Amino acid sequence: MKFGIFYEISVPRPWDRESERTVYERALEQVRLADELGFDQVWAVEHHFLEEYSHCSSPEIFLTACAVQTKRIRVGHGIVVCVPQINHPVRIAERAATLDIISGGRLEMGTGRSATWTELGAFCANPDDTKKTWDEIVRCLPKMWTQERFSHEGAAFRMPPRAILPKPYQKPHPPMWVAITSPGTEIDGADRGLGWLGLTFGGLEEQEKRIAEYRRRIKVCEPVGDVVNEQVNTVNFLYCHEDDATGVATGRRLQGTFGYMAAQLLSAREAYPTPSYPALGLLPQLRPDADSPGDSVRVPDGLCIGSPERIIEAIKKWESVGADRVNFLLNAMEVVPQKEVLASLRLFAKEVMPQFTKSEKAEPATALAGT
Amino acid sequence: MPLLGTLDIVPRLADAPKLDNYDTEAWEIAGVELLSLTFEIDDAQMTSALPPALHPTIPPVAYFSVAAYPESPIGPFTLAQVRIGCRASALPRGFLLHAYSDSPAACDALGRRWGYECRPADVRVRRYHDRVVGTVTVDGRELMRASLVDPQPISGGSIFHVSTMNLARADDDNGRGVLVQVDPAYTFHRAERGTPELTMFERAAWNAQGIEPVWPVTATFVRCDTGFPRIRYVLDAQQLARTGTRKLR
Repeated sequence: MKFGIFYEISVPRPWDRESERTVYERALEQVRLADELGFDQVWAVEHHFLEEYSHCSSPEIFLTACAVQTKRIRVGHGIVVCVPQINHPVRIAERAATLDIISGGRLEMGTGRSATWTELGAFCANPDDTKKTWDEIVRCLPKMWTQERFSHEGAAFRMPPRAILPKPYQKPHPPMWVAITSPGTEIDGADRGLGWLGLTFGGLEEQEKRIAEYRRRIKVCEPVGDVVNEQVNTVNFLYCHEDDATGVATGRRLQGTFGYMAAQLLSAREAYPTPSYPALGLLPQLRPDADSPGDSVRVPDGLCIGSPERIIEAIKKWESVGADRVNFLLNAMEVVPQKEVLASLRLFAKEVMPQFTKSEKAEPATALAGT
Repeated sequence: MPLLGTLDIVPRLADAPKLDNYDTEAWEIAGVELLSLTFEIDDAQMTSALPPALHPTIPPVAYFSVAAYPESPIGPFTLAQVRIGCRASALPRGFLLHAYSDSPAACDALGRRWGYECRPADVRVRRYHDRVVGTVTVDGRELMRASLVDPQPISGGSIFHVSTMNLARADDDNGRGVLVQVDPAYTFHRAERGTPELTMFERAAWNAQGIEPVWPVTATFVRCDTGFPRIRYVLDAQQLARTGTRKLR
């Protein structure tokens, strides 16, 4: 079991000149500490226009800063939105390769397709097409990274032969992941040899079934790249405190705030009827039973909030259902003061991490295809 | 904390319907035809159109709908609505600005039972081969013309209809107004999707001054079984939904 942290970069109103800079600076301080403490990965999302919820539209720049300020932690670019109206596939390959070089081969490449009308609508992307374009682009990225010259005639894009430069530092190429939110995407990921980058919080029983099916399918995959990544990377909240009640209370505030903010966005499924988006996004996973605005926020099973002992138990549950890695959201809307976030990280590293990790060095989780 | 509505409730309450009580019986209606358009709206009015209990969506949207109900306890009727997309706490909802029906009896019943601010008009929904058109006309003056262009069949399971929040007066609201949550179920028999076109929208007639549709999202036309359920939740119109919600049943 390995541990990572991930960032949405949520910036609460009221905004002034310093608001975003403060949140970014705090995030970088957390990343430096996480690197020292032995966390394995730092991930940053790509989102556009998501007021307050996420001001992380250029994650590759944030991650470059993370890379140059750290020594060992791996940088997770993800998910990168593989929708050609938002990111031309060549630019995705170029930026990722550059980040891999700058980080000394520490890139983890997450792929996805966006789940909000807020983003897709603004870029005039048709929600019907995003599964298809994601599929096309994830098949092209490894070729762009490994072939001297690349050309393509497809539905999402076309181009004559060109040398796409630079090439990634990791050979044959960085590990690839797919964001798992909608039911069935785990099958898409398994069939293509992509790692599972879970983006739903909790729901252990449901996750166990899906992980088992993923494990079964990836054994017979046709990988899109030269490496198969069969790791399951889940997401969770983290607030660790010596006093369990304090930890749970603060953690619930963090979880509730995140869920509340996520719910304000206009999901693709809500705005635009399409079979391409069977799920409403994060909200149903967070509050499956709520039909009244007054219902209390349900705390999903397996949340990593509370005392070290409670968190150890939660992680053991994740381990038992087949998760290999857990990425933690440390804050939302800055509801947890920076000093407490850092203390939580330190306590986790001291009391919880030794129960699960033995490795000294952060490593990619891949195997050469066919091995 | 996300942005909140800033609508001054008090002037609006003067025209808001008065609920008989909260013990409304459900109307279950088969064979309803429902045309619904979604547009992004200019953000200048994204908070001023909503009561303080509700958050605007990101981005702000408005829903324009015209429905034909072939049967009901007060006979067949049509119903046109303009709603603003919102969140009650974390839940998707549409706040009703105004409604029209071709049946004065429906206007009366929908107002007293579910809080619909509704006036009589000539409300029609018609399906052609190349489009579905909903119109609302009063004294020969068109108040809304909403169309779905180039209908294509889709699965009804792909469609998400948000529940409605209606501003009303109630005996126990202490003059603050209540938001009535109307959350019907839908069983779809046919569904189509197309391009939305709004060629007439008389804003003043819909309590929609300043509401400017700026970006088309989608249009759907469905044949379904739906209706008007028993009221399950009411909200204090001037209090954050998370704390101002009352469960009735």
